[in-house]
Amino acid sequence: MREDQRRARIMAAVTAPDTTAGAGELVHRLCRFAVDEMALSGCAVVLMAGAGSASVLVGAGPHARTVTGLQMELGEGPCLHAYASGIPVLLPDLAADPANRWPAFAAAALAAGVHAEFSLPLTVGPGGIGTFDLCRDRPGMLSDDHLADALVAADIARDAVLYQPYAAGGPCMAELLATVGADRIVIHQATGMIAAQLDETVANALARLRAAAFASGRSIYDLAQDVVERRVRFDE
Amino acid sequence: MSDSSAGRRIRPRDPGQGQQRGSGSREAMLAQAFVRLADTLASDFDIVDFLHGLSEDSVEILRAGAAGVMLADGRGGLRLIASSDERMRLLELFELQGAQGPCLDAFSSGRAVQASAADSRARWPVFAPHASDAGFRFMCAVPLRVRTSVIGALNLFRGSDEPFTGAEMEIAQAMAEMAAIGLIQERALRERNLLTEQLQAALSSRVVIEQAKGMLAEYLTMTVDDAFTLLRTYARDHNGKLSDVASDVVDRKIPSAALARRPGRQS
Repeated sequence: MREDQRRARIMAAVTAPDTTAGAGELVHRLCRFAVDEMALSGCAVVLMAGAGSASVLVGAGPHARTVTGLQMELGEGPCLHAYASGIPVLLPDLAADPANRWPAFAAAALAAGVHAEFSLPLTVGPGGIGTFDLCRDRPGMLSDDHLADALVAADIARDAVLYQPYAAGGPCMAELLATVGADRIVIHQATGMIAAQLDETVANALARLRAAAFASGRSIYDLAQDVVERRVRFDE
Repeated sequence: MSDSSAGRRIRPRDPGQGQQRGSGSREAMLAQAFVRLADTLASDFDIVDFLHGLSEDSVEILRAGAAGVMLADGRGGLRLIASSDERMRLLELFELQGAQGPCLDAFSSGRAVQASAADSRARWPVFAPHASDAGFRFMCAVPLRVRTSVIGALNLFRGSDEPFTGAEMEIAQAMAEMAAIGLIQERALRERNLLTEQLQAALSSRVVIEQAKGMLAEYLTMTVDDAFTLLRTYARDHNGKLSDVASDVVDRKIPSAALARRPGRQS
């Protein structure tokens, strides 16, 4: 199938039944389309501006936010790599060797029930704005046809985010963009507080927060909440 | 090629030279011109340089005396961007000033226009005398067009006693369309890069603002909400952007104590 035909087919699938849906609704439907069509357990459009800011714009499936959440906790993983390199990362079996590039991530993802992860960069010229992430609760490579669909869906999502923030209809992209990363606020605030406590850079403070969460087996969100509410300090 | 002016091959124009050139030579020049017209996506792209290249190439390939390029200014008007020489620049300014002439007609109709000196006196009575005074006997203009959108026009003038042939008009139109495609691609790329930068800046400024709130809350022993009020007040008092102030706080370029003081308020 030619790429323009593929694009037309996917656009038809995500714009039906009402063609007046806003760009926000459109990217949401792209994720649902991918989950249904490719039997995924999660799909998400992840936006990034540097490694510390990866946040899910929209997602579908039970594992929609799992992979991005783990990468925030651990500071490593395939989406960060796909974003930074501009090259897709395809991990059909997280229990297998290639996944060992990110051992902490692979172990945590498997524990959360994610067995395969595919991260496609949303590229713009030489840079990018994030990733289109697909994951499955069982190992196995995407078929060529599904991979081709996913690449086209990633392009559609990228264009919707970049070009249609104020397009009319449905939930508009600008409103969605305004909420991106809202769940990370507590981590960034805690990072600032820890940086002050330790007289450190924010990058090192975030690394300390991650390490402490990992070492104690707690979620980084819970630990950050304790820091912001002054139940936990890092300088004692 | 590091020297772009050398790449454009500006040679002295000997009136007889065009006749002696074989057809292969014109084809080769055309091929080279098309390669230059396609080259709009380089990081150091310069639109004025690019359109000067178009006017110089069209003069050489079409054996015209002079050429100029005008582009739409986004408000329905045209703006002179490049011309092959000073005489042409003045002529095109007269065209814009008098709001009549081949370039304006090609732009507004989206079609190629050509005229002899006699035709031009009837069609453009204000403009035509300026063209005659400059020594031009034939003139033509073709739109810079991609499908239905017209973004400007290329104007060609000839002082010799030969009208532009149909084949020459076709070549001029092809060069103008090629230039238009290149310009539209370059605009799309520039727009996309700008949108990307804006999106990335919005995302990263949210992160740094939250970090600065946490840092101030810790240094000044206050709530994060009060820290945010201090950040905003400081940014307003210093005419700074909130994200810039936040970034300076996080980098310790602004000491947190400075935000606790309110300048300009005498108690």
